[in-house]
Amino acid sequence: MDETVVEYIRRTVLKIPRDKIKAVLQEWDFLSEKQLQTIKFNQIKDNISYDVAQLCEENSADIKQAAILDIIYNYTYPNKRLWSVYQMRKTGGGTETFDLQVLKKKFKRQLRSVLKNVTINFREYEDSAIWIRIAWGTPYTKPNQYKTSYVVYHSQTPYVFISPSVLKSNLPLLCQALVVASNYHDICAMELRSHSLNSLKDIVFKTYSQNFQTYCPKPIQERNVAPESEDLRIIQENRSEKERIKRLNREVFGDGPQPQLEFAQYKLETMFKSNPKMDVLDKEPFRCLVKFSSPHLLESLKSLAPAGMADAALSPLLTCIPHKARNYFKIKEKKAFSPESFVTR
Amino acid sequence: MEGGKACAPSGVFAHLEMLEMQSHEAAVKQEEMEQQEEKLARLKATVQELRLQRDDLQAKVDLQQKGQLGKEGVVLPPAQPSARAVLEWKIKSLKAMLRLFYLTGISGKLTKKGVCFCISTAYEGTYLDSYYLDLLTEPEVQIYRHSVPIFIPLEEIAKKYLQTDIRRFLSVLSDHLNAYVQRRYQADQLQKHFSDQIEGKLQRNSLCDLLVFNYNVSRKSKTFLFKVRLLYGDLCCSLPTEAVVSCASDAPASVAEMAAAHSGLFRRVALHKAFRSFGSA
Repeated sequence: MDETVVEYIRRTVLKIPRDKIKAVLQEWDFLSEKQLQTIKFNQIKDNISYDVAQLCEENSADIKQAAILDIIYNYTYPNKRLWSVYQMRKTGGGTETFDLQVLKKKFKRQLRSVLKNVTINFREYEDSAIWIRIAWGTPYTKPNQYKTSYVVYHSQTPYVFISPSVLKSNLPLLCQALVVASNYHDICAMELRSHSLNSLKDIVFKTYSQNFQTYCPKPIQERNVAPESEDLRIIQENRSEKERIKRLNREVFGDGPQPQLEFAQYKLETMFKSNPKMDVLDKEPFRCLVKFSSPHLLESLKSLAPAGMADAALSPLLTCIPHKARNYFKIKEKKAFSPESFVTR
Repeated sequence: MEGGKACAPSGVFAHLEMLEMQSHEAAVKQEEMEQQEEKLARLKATVQELRLQRDDLQAKVDLQQKGQLGKEGVVLPPAQPSARAVLEWKIKSLKAMLRLFYLTGISGKLTKKGVCFCISTAYEGTYLDSYYLDLLTEPEVQIYRHSVPIFIPLEEIAKKYLQTDIRRFLSVLSDHLNAYVQRRYQADQLQKHFSDQIEGKLQRNSLCDLLVFNYNVSRKSKTFLFKVRLLYGDLCCSLPTEAVVSCASDAPASVAEMAAAHSGLFRRVALHKAFRSFGSA
């Protein structure tokens, strides 16, 4: 019986909010219903964790069960990690039938062929997503269960959501194993990051609210009815202006809620332009980093114009984020023919 | 009546029979006449009633117009709709017609720079998801934005037909989307209504072109586990091209036969319907 496994389970339990521990343990389905009944879930979390640990010791839990519990925890609270989107490419076209079992086998074999000391676990979810947990070791040390990488992959899509381990050096191994297992040839980061895994999925799977013009009846959405001035003597002077802003905003953002991103970063590498007589910094690029951050960046941007804090029709640099599926940009000088800057892709 | 004399020697009865027939015919005719008269009277009454109703309504309309005139205080030529009102009415009815178009599955609307198409999918009389394609038409037709799932081979279909045959492009894409949604719907229905028969997890991929699951079959108070692997080789089709149903090798021959029958059924009938038929059998 490995004591570190029990301790790992105990610490995982400690991370779960107290009122959700029971539900998570039930989903885990490792402790019997009878055993669960012996745990008092209303005591302090520390005591609950020791009770769970003891039961796991009785059931002689191994690392596989511990890993599954960790996956369930991360699946339930995906916003605790930072996720990056990677895109895979293949040279030949065509979709082939995807078999999960094949992917699992290939992924394991590929990774193990390079590094023996890894713990790899899979868990499939109903939305045809597979969650992969990898704990990394070195050729001489056991895998570190506390510094895991997570991969979420939806079959038959070229996108992978990776939450890397703090042990950064393993990322290339992970990427290589993914490319091999899913029959692609190449993988690259998309410069799209967020804590909200579901919003990242909405962006790359294009299920976020886009404003499409059609005659189709759309499901009626509850809109906040703007409080029309109750007092008839008060006249809205700039009503047409407000309506213009509203219309422009709707064209850009659509009606629905925006995907949740926490930041957008713009790196400027443009030349400083000045009067030639002044003779300052002419050939040097003007380096500057602009970072917008907000608990909900796109919703914030959406509300800028209606709130009167910015002119309507915001800069495409800000509004192209979901469409371009990236929130890290490098802005360079446009080559020769036009002095305007542009966004590199 | 000349016949009467000729027939007389052969029998009075024949003559009587003929007379009877004649009288019967006359009676039938009379009855018909009466019925017609009755009907005419009824219709006349209806006409009268409708006339009354019309007069009533006309009176009401007159009253209303008078009232409005009174309110506005301006004398307008009565009951002459303006050209603008007619135009508005026409636009409204045309828009309603365009809205109806989505029922056909493919509808479009001109935008500033091109056209936006909507493909609505449906299965068994139920409308399911709608997908959108925003196309630019200048300088050549190209896809600007869309909400088609990534695993639908949109790029491939576009490469084949987008520039040359937009109708074909839309219909092929619509076939792909419909078949995908229909496969997904069947798997969802299976999970929703027959989860008690399914053992373990139903394994599917994003495109729902491979389903793997196990289910229990009871026969003569014994249960057997059937393993199923459904492969949908034709992506424009909602039925599998390959259905493998297997049972344990030590199962009796009759159970193996049943597995083979199920395999055939899965290829012909929608998944949830096949399961419904197991229940009733």
